[in-house]
Amino acid sequence: MDYTIIVFLEILRAISWLVILAAGLAIIFGMMKVINFAHGEFLMLGGYITIMSHNAGVPLWISMGVLAPLVVGVFGIIVERLVIRHLYGRIIDSLLATWGLSLLMIGGVTMVFGNTVQGVSTPLGSLSIGAYQVPGYNLLLIGIAVAMMMAIWLVLRFTSAGLIARATMQNPDMAETLGVRTSWVYMATFGLGSAVTGLAGGLLAPLTGVAPSMGVNFVAQSFITVITGGASMIAGTLSAGTLLGTISQGVTFATGPVYGDAALLLAALILLRLLPQGITGRIFRKSL
Amino acid sequence: MSDLRPILTTEKLVMQFGGVTAVDNVDFSLREGELRCLLGPNGAGKSTFFKCLTGQLTPTSGRVRFDGQDITGWETHAIVGMGVGIKTQVPNLFDGLSAYENVRMSARRKHLRPMAKEKAEEMLEKCGIAHLARREVGLLAHGQRQLVELATVLAGEPRLVLLDEPAAGMAGDERDRLADLVLETSRRAAVVVVEHDMAFIRRIAKFTTVFNRGAIFREAMIDEIMSDRAVQEIYLGKQADVAA
Amino acid sequence: METSLRTDPGFWFMTALGLVLLFLGPLFWDLFQIMQITQYVVLSVYVLSLAYIWGFGGILSFGQAAFFGLGAYTFSVAAINMGETTFPFVLAFAIPAIFGAALGYFMFYGKLSDVYMGVVTMVVTLIFWKLINHTAGPEYAIGDARLGGFNGIPSVPVLNVPGDAQAWLDPGQMFQVFMAILTLLYVLLRILIASDFGRISMGIRENETRAALLGYDVRRHKVIMFALGAGIAGMAGGMWATYQTFIDPNVFSLEMSAKALIWTMAGGVGTLAGPIVAVVLLQYLSLKLGEMHILNNNFILGGIMMVLVLLVPKGGLPTLRDGIAALRVRGSVRRSGTPGKVAPDV
Repeated sequence: MDYTIIVFLEILRAISWLVILAAGLAIIFGMMKVINFAHGEFLMLGGYITIMSHNAGVPLWISMGVLAPLVVGVFGIIVERLVIRHLYGRIIDSLLATWGLSLLMIGGVTMVFGNTVQGVSTPLGSLSIGAYQVPGYNLLLIGIAVAMMMAIWLVLRFTSAGLIARATMQNPDMAETLGVRTSWVYMATFGLGSAVTGLAGGLLAPLTGVAPSMGVNFVAQSFITVITGGASMIAGTLSAGTLLGTISQGVTFATGPVYGDAALLLAALILLRLLPQGITGRIFRKSL
Repeated sequence: MSDLRPILTTEKLVMQFGGVTAVDNVDFSLREGELRCLLGPNGAGKSTFFKCLTGQLTPTSGRVRFDGQDITGWETHAIVGMGVGIKTQVPNLFDGLSAYENVRMSARRKHLRPMAKEKAEEMLEKCGIAHLARREVGLLAHGQRQLVELATVLAGEPRLVLLDEPAAGMAGDERDRLADLVLETSRRAAVVVVEHDMAFIRRIAKFTTVFNRGAIFREAMIDEIMSDRAVQEIYLGKQADVAA
Repeated sequence: METSLRTDPGFWFMTALGLVLLFLGPLFWDLFQIMQITQYVVLSVYVLSLAYIWGFGGILSFGQAAFFGLGAYTFSVAAINMGETTFPFVLAFAIPAIFGAALGYFMFYGKLSDVYMGVVTMVVTLIFWKLINHTAGPEYAIGDARLGGFNGIPSVPVLNVPGDAQAWLDPGQMFQVFMAILTLLYVLLRILIASDFGRISMGIRENETRAALLGYDVRRHKVIMFALGAGIAGMAGGMWATYQTFIDPNVFSLEMSAKALIWTMAGGVGTLAGPIVAVVLLQYLSLKLGEMHILNNNFILGGIMMVLVLLVPKGGLPTLRDGIAALRVRGSVRRSGTPGKVAPDV
């Protein structure tokens, strides 16, 4: 019984983890159909800000939950204004440009901080379930994933900003003729997506430590989750996160963590062969 | 008699997009060598019907038969390989290539190199665009692009030619030439023409099918269709909508 | 536009240049220069794999390093096990090509959009990189070859004369063999591009719907092109392994994929010669900048990539060509399409 709970929690954590990693990317993709190839480096930036500010004396929860999203969000807005804005309608070029940005950021951070790993200890201790210990941080991750999805849903569904966002998502030209400045919507979207990614990076920092090239370890999972989910932010991320999280955790239990990612990709390829637009391209099409 | 054999039939063909039924239970039959006009207001489902025939869309239900063979759900290239050619509503061309290269690409599928060259040149000549052969088609005017696409389609020597609004964007003399071309083509192949241009229709039409809201609304000789009150109403109704 | 090889001065110039370097180069260069230039030759073969499929088929692969690395590891493992290099060299082409065909089947028959294709090809590279990094233990061995994880495989055999496993090539001979491969590859690709197969590829690049409506099997055609590109990249990987005589997981790195994109963009999508020139210039530039130890290599690469996308989207050679043409036709406005850039369809 205890073991069942542990396995269940592990799977739930894997799903939550994918959701947290991919949420920022999914917001940007759902809205703008752009994949930010520098996603991994936005995570890295969030991680660095968390650890740097914590080392400078800021409480960990503040640096993780406030500073990381704030700074990465602002950085995202700057990137949108300087780069992405010029590439609307040139989707391939926006991929290439953000890839360039990714390399630029890895190189830049290496030049500033050096190619070393820095870390901070994981907070929250652990909980006992029967004979097993569960890190409290895992439960926090599950809680945050749920809160994140709830928050996005509430904003999209019940606020006027959410209405504008949904309208732009459905039909940008139409929204423009109704007086929506879509370029501002895109800027805000990119900023918000970046902020969420910054938060994810902050949450990551105590688990893995930070290093300039750390993003590489997480982008594969994020990308696969988003493209498998398709264009709907919440339904897509949740359905893909659930499916892929379960698969990768199952494979990890069976063979160890090395093949988890490969199994993810294989599952995604097979799924995309059947549903080229991702899960929400066919199922849950009308959802957010 | 061989020319009474149907070359194309559809049985209860249905194409749905979500809740919208674009093609609704269509039973259509075309004899070999027949020239058929397809009329109907915008949104009547004519282009969708064409896409179902050429495999660009897979019908929700119903069958499509070409030359006795059930081709429902086949890949586009396989259907085209059977001998179907289509000029799409918005010209589909290789914009970065020359007119000659476009036409040759089509001719080459059936012929060896020297013959393909000859065939392509002949088609360009026949469509009256030999002088445009070396021009990049992305830079041509709309009417000229229509002719290039027509030449491309005909160079594949299809047994069934589908033409979706071939006269759009054409000047008077171009249009007359096009009508002659269509009539000439129909001596060697079955032809289905979708068109709104009534002057053009009058020059070529005999037996005519009218689509409305995805379904076949009337099938009769063109004179009968023109004087049909109900047909006029669906057109006028549509125009009234547009005016409003 | 129309390509007639026989009357194209660029084709003859590049072919002649290749032959001249092949025969005369080793007479004038010292060992260090030969090694340096051999590197450019190998990377030129690598860049042609992308320049061909992107420029002449509109297929954008963000994961050429996956095939490059697969070719490098295939060659190394096979050569260590077989004790000779000729058949392993063939495998370095064949295995990545087969893998490319399988991956291409999923992508093209799944009708993935450009963005999805980009992401999938990139993720494939990442996963190879991750997997191979985890093969450090002695249990990860294929025959006599230990994969070695992040340490890579040391002592990859040098190329030998086919049929005589003891007759190793010296650096000058290796340069000549590689230069011959590059020249031959260039000529063969140009012939392929000018052939009917190549024209169909170009048609597909311009308009997939029309190509299918003319009766051409677009997806099969793209799988073949993609597999060919994968094979060429794999062959370059094999050349890289034997040139360096060791390999590590960096052959699968994202930088390696990015480099292929950068060189192709810099040289111009829709040409073969441009990307080769870009390899030489940019590798030389990054060597010199690297020697100064001020700027990080990734930083330079990323910077170049962003500048290219934002400021020179058509690439070096076409921009140069248009510039010259614009000077000739002074005053008249000339509209020009962007070759190879596929309209985004999401």
